[in-house]
Amino acid sequence: MTVLEGGKISGRQFMSVLVVLRIVPLTLVFSLINSIAHVQDTWITVIIGTVIAIPIAVLITKLSLRFPGKTIIEYSQSLLGPVMGKLLGLLILWCFLCTSIDITRGLGEAYVIAIMPETPILVFMSMLIFISCYAARSGLEVICRLGEDVFYIVVFVLLLTYVLPYTAMRFENLRPILAWGASNLVPPVIANLGYYSQFLIIGMLVPYLNKPEDATRYAVYAVLISGALMVLAAVALVAVFGTTASSWTLPLFSLARMISLGDFFERIEAGVMAAWTVSTGIKLALFLWAASVAVAQLFNLKAFRHLLYPLGTITVAASLFFFESMVELEDYLAKAGAMVSILVAGVTLLLLYAALGIRMAIHRRKGGAG
Amino acid sequence: MRVRRCVRITALLAIIPVVLSMAGCWSRKEIEDIGFVLSIGVDHGAKEDEIMITAHIAKPFAISAGLSGAVDEKPFWQVSSTGRTVFEAWRNLRQQSPRRPLLHHSRFIVFGEEFARDGIHEAMDFFFKESEVRETNVVVVAKGVKASEILWNEFELERMPAEGALGIMKVAAQELSTTVMITLNEFLQMLEAEGHEAVASRAELVRRPPSEDPRGQLKRETISISGRETGAAAFKGDKLVGWLDKTQTRGLQWVKGKVRSGIIVIEQPEEENKLASIELVRADSTVTPGISDGRPSVLIKVRAIGNLGEVQEDFDPMKSQEAWLSMERRMAEVIRHEIEAALNIAKYEFNSDIFGFGAEIQRKYPKEWTKLKDKWDEEFPKLDVEIEVETSLRRSGLTRRSVQTVRKEEG
Repeated sequence: MTVLEGGKISGRQFMSVLVVLRIVPLTLVFSLINSIAHVQDTWITVIIGTVIAIPIAVLITKLSLRFPGKTIIEYSQSLLGPVMGKLLGLLILWCFLCTSIDITRGLGEAYVIAIMPETPILVFMSMLIFISCYAARSGLEVICRLGEDVFYIVVFVLLLTYVLPYTAMRFENLRPILAWGASNLVPPVIANLGYYSQFLIIGMLVPYLNKPEDATRYAVYAVLISGALMVLAAVALVAVFGTTASSWTLPLFSLARMISLGDFFERIEAGVMAAWTVSTGIKLALFLWAASVAVAQLFNLKAFRHLLYPLGTITVAASLFFFESMVELEDYLAKAGAMVSILVAGVTLLLLYAALGIRMAIHRRKGGAG
Repeated sequence: MRVRRCVRITALLAIIPVVLSMAGCWSRKEIEDIGFVLSIGVDHGAKEDEIMITAHIAKPFAISAGLSGAVDEKPFWQVSSTGRTVFEAWRNLRQQSPRRPLLHHSRFIVFGEEFARDGIHEAMDFFFKESEVRETNVVVVAKGVKASEILWNEFELERMPAEGALGIMKVAAQELSTTVMITLNEFLQMLEAEGHEAVASRAELVRRPPSEDPRGQLKRETISISGRETGAAAFKGDKLVGWLDKTQTRGLQWVKGKVRSGIIVIEQPEEENKLASIELVRADSTVTPGISDGRPSVLIKVRAIGNLGEVQEDFDPMKSQEAWLSMERRMAEVIRHEIEAALNIAKYEFNSDIFGFGAEIQRKYPKEWTKLKDKWDEEFPKLDVEIEVETSLRRSGLTRRSVQTVRKEEG
């Protein structure tokens, strides 16, 4: 097979894109806070979710490291055989496309709700897709270099958004803690793990790392950094909005609107929105790239670049038709979408590790016999 | 080669009309087509079940003309419209306004007293759903009048009434602490919270006698209707139940830890009928709930730091340490009285927990609160409230002792 993608990425770029892809939904819709009944506990659920996500990220990375130079699509075929492997590959591909569809619609909705209500949503979505496909055509190296810069911008903007509304913060809003039992904590943890399941894309990235041995370390860093950013988001939101924090469609956008320093430093949410748009663009470029590489590898194509625009078109169309309304999108993201992501990631890991175990057992027995 | 170049040029030419047609976005709003709304008033309409929205819109041309020279034109325009819902009334405004009114820059959401007494719940949602309205708008209730009337008030030193009212309110909240400044965000939190009733700013209309100055009538240099932004409006649920005067409002602000500055007038120790003023520098408070035998109680601790700003009769702190301490005690006594005034009216007149004691109990004793919350209306007036005030006088200005004059005894 010819080399589809010749790019090489550094560990830090790898970590940056992982963080960006986890915090993109946070910057727009914060499903965690929307799915919790009593918002005071949100930050605890984020910590729980993050702690559970670390082994998931490590498992995905370690598996990929056993097959140097091969993507998850390729080694699942060599582990499970061509038929099962291709089926699993299709499942992963479908998952990548679903993620692209969600975030495309999410960003379009955010623009229509918050900034330009009269503009058709198609305009925002197709512009975003066009730019992301254009970026993805240049290959993984370009996406990840851009991703590192975007990572710094987004972290900076997020921290500003957390800190600057300090005049409106009342930290007593965070109490009482853990007063409603464990059932309050479950839905947001599931929503959080649903997003962390998107780290399945690590399986597509590890082969292109210039130092694969760093992969595990940086994957864990990515989980920790994104977890910290979300804990701070949960604290800031509840401190500013109290129990009303769960009612916002775009919580962090509303948080940015609360910034008002000395009568002149205010109305900065458009800048905030711009930073979130570029991060969504990076995530979309990454997932479209992964999807087209997956298609090329599944069907033994010699190049992936001309698949991008068709896949982008499908994504735009699907994101228009998948969801009737913002309510449906939010409901999907917090419940069904999260469960599906967890299921796909779980099934993938389970099948691959089981196959790996069996292979190793057979190999050992053969070695013992020989 | 030539074919490719032809293709490229054709493509380029094909793009031009596309670009020309996209010279703007759908949602563009040209500055010439919009009117900036500065305050929004909400009242009952003339017909039953109708809501009247009053918008106070800035006139950009009048403002800019006013900067260059004298102009007789008012820099604002006030317009009302009605509808069955707030949004409908708001949209109906477009029948009267040649420019599109925009809420991005509004400062105030004003409720008329009558409307507030009947409940504001139905009017609230629009202000949160509409992306033009900022959550930093200040919620005001007009005492005794309709919101549409209070919006007419004008202020010296500011051409725009909303700016004038905001200036007064900010200064009063910061330097007098006798008014509350509640943003839409805080107001909603208080409306939604268990065990915490809402308060909002109070605005009154001040009618001035018509001016005798002939120039004033010609050039409109004096103002006949002005406003006063003091005190607070207390709600129970979504209904207005009464007003807090300046003292009671500061009492409320002490408990909430929102007193920034202010003057406390005390009787001067060692001198009969002479007063001293203490300027507050900073203050904070903690509210600690407790539950014993199922009965809730609350301990309020207030700490205030002040400077001695003036004394009316001879006073030298170097001479008498006791007098200095006595001043601190008197200051604490004044603060305690203010808190008690607020407590009494909230407990016995309104039966409305505007201090958020219930919310504090919920934070500390979530389990007990589930039992308490249904009967909080009966429990709140019976609540044991203990007040501890700790004060300290730090400085006495640029002079140590006060002004001493030689006076001859009369008679």
